[in-house]
Amino acid sequence: MLEVPANIYPWLKGIVGLVLIGALFGFGMFAIWVERKLSADIQERHGPNRVGPRGIFQLVADAIKLFTKEEIIPAKVDRILYISAPIVILLSVFLMLVAIPVGAVYVNGTEYVLAATQMDISILYIEAVSAIAIIGTFVLGYGQNNKYAMMGTFRNFAQMVGYEIPLGLTIVSVAIMSGTLDVVGIVHAQDRIWYAFLQPIGFIVFFIAMMIDMGRLPFDQNEGEEELQAGVFTEYSSMRFGLGFFAEYFHLILGSFLIALLFLGGWNVPGFVTDNTVLGVILPTVVLVTKATLVMAFIIMMRWAVPRYRIDQVVDLSWKKLLPFSLLNLGWAIALGLYLGV
Amino acid sequence: MSGIVDSNIVYSYIPVAVFLVVSLLMPPMTMLIAKLLSPRSTGAERYSTYESGSIPTGPARIQFSVEYYLYAIAFVLFDIEVLFLYPWAMIYRGNTGVDTTVAVVEMLIFIFVLLFGYAFLWKKGALRWLKN
Repeated sequence: MLEVPANIYPWLKGIVGLVLIGALFGFGMFAIWVERKLSADIQERHGPNRVGPRGIFQLVADAIKLFTKEEIIPAKVDRILYISAPIVILLSVFLMLVAIPVGAVYVNGTEYVLAATQMDISILYIEAVSAIAIIGTFVLGYGQNNKYAMMGTFRNFAQMVGYEIPLGLTIVSVAIMSGTLDVVGIVHAQDRIWYAFLQPIGFIVFFIAMMIDMGRLPFDQNEGEEELQAGVFTEYSSMRFGLGFFAEYFHLILGSFLIALLFLGGWNVPGFVTDNTVLGVILPTVVLVTKATLVMAFIIMMRWAVPRYRIDQVVDLSWKKLLPFSLLNLGWAIALGLYLGV
Repeated sequence: MSGIVDSNIVYSYIPVAVFLVVSLLMPPMTMLIAKLLSPRSTGAERYSTYESGSIPTGPARIQFSVEYYLYAIAFVLFDIEVLFLYPWAMIYRGNTGVDTTVAVVEMLIFIFVLLFGYAFLWKKGALRWLKN
């Protein structure tokens, strides 16, 4: 390896990764449209239908609206905390984005993963940086000097001390079975069979814990629209609210991708290997994005299918159901790994 | 770049640095655009804290009973347990010079002790949302 290209290459990769962010940004817009359309269909409404065909450009209009709204920073807020909180949350989301592959390209039998970087401990890294968001939420709640925001923050904490452990334990179970902490390695370990089938309990626990992590209904404790106004975002307006909103949707997308990567085989289609160049370039990415979209659609539909949980019910669910089941799954993963050599 | 640190590992974190800078720059730039585009108006009332339309009573940063402090303490223990599992999960199987049987039995003992603690917490009523 030449010294100079070796030095430049990672920087280039980082910049190419920003292009992936742009693509994911488009996907995020699509996600918001899907959510609104799907919610409308479930409730037998039309949903957005004015801007563009079937309302697909509604989000562009919304973005323009957010940009042209006046920002009001209330007098009693702690300005430094108020301004830095969305930055911290976005930082966490962006740092998660670095390590999450959004697809793969096969050229002449060689695989190129579409991710800004490849680490040997990427899943551990993702878990670590996703925990930064909780600091952002605390800054958010404390900085606004608002009661609703404060309550939202404390609920978020109560939630966090519950779901983090089952989430971590299911990730460890996946790591045990695949023998690696690299997301790409975990995807390859599922070449023959998806972990959703090998660890069904782990899959369900991870799915629920991830939904709590994303703050999606029925677990939207930090926002709690019905009782806490906008929860942790109560005093935010204009584009600064837009930043938080954006970070939240990215969280949803990243969570969907993670579920697809860790338990649904990522870009693999079991038993399907192609030598066709065109298919090899297009298919893996399409497969992964389709899986992530389906997971996302399922999460969105859960919002209208399951009644909201109360905060103590969420905590009970995490500690008394998810935690024992994730330990059971851990034992199952160890046993399966030892005796079947999976 | 040479020395005890594998340069490939360092390189794999350079994109992290790039993203870090971008994520720090993006919000101020977005807000700058919003500031240029948005109108401006004045009025004292609009800067008051939101409290469902009524005049805010008292400060927001009051002390109140945090019902979940016992969970939070247990969380610290269990979270460290999970962290401890990661390196173990990587080396207990395969060609790492570790005796698999011994490693698994050791880990089962470790998990069992924690399970005992968990059962104790449950029995003691620590895993209950306190109502004053």
